[in-house]
Amino acid sequence: MIKLTVNGQPYEVRVEPEWTLYYLIHDRLGLIGSKQFCDRGACGSCTVIMDGRPILSCMALAIECDGANIETVEGIARASHPLIESYARHHAMQCGYCTPGFIVAAKALLDKNPHPTEEQVKEALAGNLCRCGTYPQHSKAVLEAAEKLLGG
Amino acid sequence: MEEMFDNLRADKYPLKEYNYIGRRGPRRIDGFQKASGNAVYTMDVQLPGMLHMRFLTSPYPHAAIKNMDTSKAESFPGVRAILRYDDPELPPIADLGGHVPSAEVVLPGIAHFQGEEVGAAVAADTEAVAEEALKLVEVEWEERPFVLDPEEALKPDAPLAHPELLPNGNHYNAGLLDVLELGDISQGFAEADKVIEFRSERRLHTWIGPERPCGVFRWNGDCPEVWVKQQRPHIAKRVISSWFGGVPMNKIKMHCLYQGASFGGWSQTPWNMAGHYCAAVLAKRTGRPVKWTFTRREDFYGGEMDEGVYYYKVGAKNDGTITAVQGRAVLANQIWPVFHFLKHLVENTRIPNIHGQLFVVKTNKGPTVPVRCEQNANAHSLTLIFDHVADAFGLDPIEVALKNDGADGHDMDWLNERKAERGFEVRDSLRECVEKGKAAIGWYNRWHPPGKKRLPNGRMHGLAFTWDHEWDDSAGSSEMAIRIERNDGTATILGMGSDVGVDAENSYCQIAADELGMRLDDVYYNPQADPGFFRMTPDSSTNMSVNGFAIRHAARILKRKILEAAASPRGKTQRGSFPPAFPDAGPEDLDIKDSVIYLKADPSKKMTMAEFVGPSGVAGPLVSHENLGVRSNFSVPLFAFGYHVQTGTYAPQHLRPRFCRQAHFMEVEVDTETGLIEVTRVVNVNDVGKVINRASCEGQQYGGSYMGVGRGRSEEVVYDPVTGIMLNGNLLDYKMATMLDVGPIDTLLVETGMGYGPYGVIGIGEDIATVMPALLGPAVYNALGIWIDDFPITPDKVLKALSKV
Repeated sequence: MIKLTVNGQPYEVRVEPEWTLYYLIHDRLGLIGSKQFCDRGACGSCTVIMDGRPILSCMALAIECDGANIETVEGIARASHPLIESYARHHAMQCGYCTPGFIVAAKALLDKNPHPTEEQVKEALAGNLCRCGTYPQHSKAVLEAAEKLLGG
Repeated sequence: MEEMFDNLRADKYPLKEYNYIGRRGPRRIDGFQKASGNAVYTMDVQLPGMLHMRFLTSPYPHAAIKNMDTSKAESFPGVRAILRYDDPELPPIADLGGHVPSAEVVLPGIAHFQGEEVGAAVAADTEAVAEEALKLVEVEWEERPFVLDPEEALKPDAPLAHPELLPNGNHYNAGLLDVLELGDISQGFAEADKVIEFRSERRLHTWIGPERPCGVFRWNGDCPEVWVKQQRPHIAKRVISSWFGGVPMNKIKMHCLYQGASFGGWSQTPWNMAGHYCAAVLAKRTGRPVKWTFTRREDFYGGEMDEGVYYYKVGAKNDGTITAVQGRAVLANQIWPVFHFLKHLVENTRIPNIHGQLFVVKTNKGPTVPVRCEQNANAHSLTLIFDHVADAFGLDPIEVALKNDGADGHDMDWLNERKAERGFEVRDSLRECVEKGKAAIGWYNRWHPPGKKRLPNGRMHGLAFTWDHEWDDSAGSSEMAIRIERNDGTATILGMGSDVGVDAENSYCQIAADELGMRLDDVYYNPQADPGFFRMTPDSSTNMSVNGFAIRHAARILKRKILEAAASPRGKTQRGSFPPAFPDAGPEDLDIKDSVIYLKADPSKKMTMAEFVGPSGVAGPLVSHENLGVRSNFSVPLFAFGYHVQTGTYAPQHLRPRFCRQAHFMEVEVDTETGLIEVTRVVNVNDVGKVINRASCEGQQYGGSYMGVGRGRSEEVVYDPVTGIMLNGNLLDYKMATMLDVGPIDTLLVETGMGYGPYGVIGIGEDIATVMPALLGPAVYNALGIWIDDFPITPDKVLKALSKV
């Protein structure tokens, strides 16, 4: 039995030792925004923010997350974060499967660095894979969201 | 209005003004859902009582099951059912999809490549339980000899890769479009000032769909309900209707949710529907929905055309005019061996003498399928041949391209006559593309002789150019419909299709809005449910060129119906009718703009679509308007469908020469110490005929460039030659491009209107990713002065070429 907070909601869940955090979030809690693409910690599609840090939920065991504070893309969207609108506006998605992972990683960046350079955005998102090749649009979307957050 | 559109001629129905078509970024219809995590994919589907099904896979590249004991797996806690290859309910063969009905083994007992799904499918409470249970399946295998290398497979004494299908040898395209001939090859070489020869190799890469192959099958009584990870839902439906002695089409409920990418690939292999067949059997037996999945590794086995070896002999004059091309290629595992590797030379150039011999062989690897797209071998050949010629004669590759531009062995004068006789404005597509691209990349300031420019950072600088023709308009058919909703007069587009992420759905809304005169916000399209209409699959870049006709046709008919209804009495009953919305006017006197119907002679006389269509419910159960002397302004249902049947240039008749061109530029830096190639700049220029959705076109350009660079530089599925086992079926060891792997990409669009689609469009989905990989070859050559014709050009090959390893 573990306790954790997901998007501000407290949960108490009985978990099996082999469950990954991704499995818990996606399959058991029904928060389908986190996506499994590589299942090996190589692609970033399952990224969530845990205690302020972006982590790969496919590489974290749920049992290790007792007491953790988790933020998923659903929480980011519910808070009407400007990243959501800017991603849609800039077509920073095609099939969309990897998009939530990018947005979560971008949110983690902006939390720590509200005024990143384009290079810093690319560096922060370089661990996220996109097979459709939407890469050029992400920095545009993130920089615009950063500007909005700063009141621009 | 009911005519079929002739896509061989200039478009007959251009609009006077375009409000949404071609405009930058009116909206991204799926944007919020995908960004917010609300978009549901097949992999996300969870149904009450759902079981998870996984397949046994072969540990050997070629092996038959002699005996199989599933008893331990059956008794494993959480396992609900196991389907065996020798199950009496499994038919020997079934239709498992494709453009035409196929005959495939559903669950084989013989594996022809390592990792093939064979023998057993386990349905359990969770995926993890199914996987554990599979480990308990005891199999006695009969290992068979195998062959991995295409040229080895062609040898007469080679092991038979698939004796059940090919008992007499691995070569399977004899007489099937294997020889391509044009002109007199001997004459062509006799006219040449110089003849060059070289060999090239393309190794296997794979498609990588972010969403693993999967599907869900549920029986509602005797009615199947199916969720497909497929870019061809209507073909899947047709296939399912042929199973179990026949299932009526009207009993099958299809769902085609958001697709975690689909570049062709899996949708075209029997595996895809085999998963559904097995799931259907186990769903019936257990009375529960069954979701089948592949692992990321299993996804890797469906590789990409065309692994193989290419030999070229090219004759040309000193001015760069190519007089003859002779080629020989040995390619592996083509699912349809019909795409000759020199086809683009015929369709894109004036080269008069061409001879190509294509050998397609079966090897013990997974099937290769068109993945953005089946023309890889063609684009590869055209790029390398042209750039090798430019190098051999010391010429600018752009000049060589312009000098040889044409079609079917004829020069540009001939091609321009063909443009004119079809009613097109005669434009030089290649020249327009080249001019734009040259300016963007700074060609003349920065191009240099090979191996001559070392940068301040110590790396060697390379710049390269390639070109190709418009992409195919594949044969296809499409049915799409539009209904005007009651109450608010908004328009709903109907037609099931696969949303693979190219924003095509929004493009159809743009066309419908412009043709109807409605606001884009009032037109919506979700293709995921099955209204009975199906639209063309995204195959062969034909989303727009086929579906665009269908939706435009529907919109034009619907607009006429709306205006006729607006000029006609409404709310008709046996007691009378409501007066027309526009009395004393005919439909020709009316028009629609911004979702408002108005009288052309006096625009102040107007009515919104919402006011016009009337409410969906007009009377309560106790008091009717009629009894109070009030009549509803209920208009006739406003609905229209359009359809389009297209005969593509794949047709043997070769109905239309290719008029539009594309030009691509790549700049690289090569580190001679590490062998690393940095792609620092890309310029894509595509003549798309007419831009419908600008952001979508650009997305295909930069997206294709990233995929193309990955293919050309780092992507290779590696097999162990000793055991025949795939070694890098994961995203750590298989290197696709990341955000940092390509520098800035310029995406430039040319609009000559000479396309085969509505408004003169050309498909754009496949070409960039297909043309770009080979461009790395001349780019690296320009940097080093050494040809590395073995793709992908990995650092070890660079160092080997530099004699450093």
